[in-house]
This record gives sequence, C-alpha cells and structure tokens, in this order.
Amino acid sequence: MRSSQIFYEDVQTGDPLPALTVTVDERQLFFFSAATYNGHRIHYDKDWARDVEGYDNVIVQGPLQSALLARAITDWIGGRGRLVEYAVQNRAIAFAGEELTFGGVVTRKRLADDVGLVDLDIAGRRGDTVLMPGTATVALPMRGAPL
Amino acid sequence: MSLIDAESAARVGSVAATATGEVNRRDWQRWAAAVGDHNPLWFDTEYARAQGYRDIICPPLFLQYAILGVAALDGLRPDGSSGAVSGSLAFPRAPRRMAGGESTTFLGPAYHRDEIEMVRTIESIVEKQGRSGQFVLVTWRTMYRNQQRELVAEATTSMIARP
Repeated sequence: MRSSQIFYEDVQTGDPLPALTVTVDERQLFFFSAATYNGHRIHYDKDWARDVEGYDNVIVQGPLQSALLARAITDWIGGRGRLVEYAVQNRAIAFAGEELTFGGVVTRKRLADDVGLVDLDIAGRRGDTVLMPGTATVALPMRGAPL
Repeated sequence: MSLIDAESAARVGSVAATATGEVNRRDWQRWAAAVGDHNPLWFDTEYARAQGYRDIICPPLFLQYAILGVAALDGLRPDGSSGAVSGSLAFPRAPRRMAGGESTTFLGPAYHRDEIEMVRTIESIVEKQGRSGQFVLVTWRTMYRNQQRELVAEATTSMIARP
C-alpha cells in the first residue's frame, strides 16, 4: 500500500500533506452510518432532511468528514508514524455528491523526550470553503532509531 | 428565552454515560472500508508487526464506536438518533442536533478483543450566538481505558443543538 516511510528529519515547517479528494455518495453515507450505528435520518432520509431539518439534501456525517481528514494524516505518516493529538470542529455541512478535499500543513516540529513530534494545521474543504478546520500532532520516527 | 432548560443545566458535571465494549477487528475494518481507508495497519498483521505492533491495530478514530450498545427502535428520537452516548440530553427548544467537534489525545494502540470502558462526563452546556442565530453548545469529556486500566484515549467532544 505504501512503499516509503516519512521520517522526522524529512519534514519542514510549511510542508503540505498530500491532499485527499473524495466525493461522498449515498452508498458511502449509508455504509458509514451502518459502521457507526448512526440512525440519524439526515444522512439517508431526503424528505426528513429537507422538510424537517431544512437541508437541501442528505448530509455527510461530521464524523465521516473527520475520519477522512484523519485518513489524510495517517496515510502521510506511514506505518511507523503515530497520531497523538487530533482536534477538529464542524464548521459547515457538506452534501452528498460534493467534491471534498482533506489536507494540512506542517506548522511546527519539536522533540519531546526523544520523540519527534510534528504539529499540523488540518482542514476539510469544499472548494475554498473550510468545512472542518483543526489541528493535529503526530509522532514520526527518527532516522536510524530502532522500532 | 434561554434555549437551555433547567433540567439539562443541572446535569453539568455529572456522568452522562458509561459503556463498555470489545474492540472488534471486523467492526473497525468495516468502518475503515466505509471511510475508504485501507491502511495496512488496520488490515495486515504482518505489516503491523513489521512496524513494531504485536498485531493489527484499531484505527484511532474508531475507538469511540467500540463501546456502542444496542438501541431499541422504540427508544429512538424522531430524527432517528439514539442519544445513548450523549446521556440522552434533549433540548426541547433546540431540537436540531449536529456534531460540533472533537479533540482527542491517543495514548496507545487498541487491539482486537481489547475491553474498553468509556466514562463520559458533561463538562459544559452553554448558549452561543452564531452567524445563523442562537445555539446550544454541549461539551463532554470522555476517558477510554482498556482491560489493563491503561488510558488509551482521552477526548473532548461537543454537540450543537439549534432551534
């Protein structure tokens, strides 16, 4: 799945994460609701979403946006990287069928007890609209360090 | 008029919910597949061992679902949500609910068949003014411990309720 491991030494402040672009459709909404045991109608019942809650369509689960944003991070940090802190806010909803982009940028790197920590600003976006801003901290392996 | 009823306000500081559940690899793999997340750490034992883990690990963001119980259809809210993990807080004057945000510290991996205990406390309930009007912001603090009583994750989550 991934061939190369990114190391603490490889990363510089300002580096972007590779962006993840996803268009969530109704099938994915359904499977995510099923996988999270979420019965909320706004994710599958268009009439309810429109007539009762005032949305134009079924909406993407906040936790799915969050999981996609986390996926952009865990894809980037590789098997030896570790997600340490993860914080996001739901700022705007997304509808099924909209193209969403998940990514981030390195804001700081620091050593704490010989662990290489990298701070990130992260966001889920639709075009220029930030749907889900957040921050994360990951631990990356040091070159030459044992597992 | 405040959107927060006295009954809900009185619950700040109390335990909203406790739950236990077994981390299950098929459940987390279904979740990961629904996210399109095919990271071999969640799927491939040999790969996970080569990275220093004793087996495949639970995706960090899945941990919160490992403790979900069973919701009876009769007990659902009209909008289909169960309210089980939020301690059944309901705001009659602000019935439209959506997830607000989450902030989590992950302290260690969770493995297949780990027993997770979740304790969730209502940290605050405040009324706010946003661009689209008044809303209620509820914040919970949640601890996840495994069968060795090790803290696996600690989370602050929030929910927005609108009129």
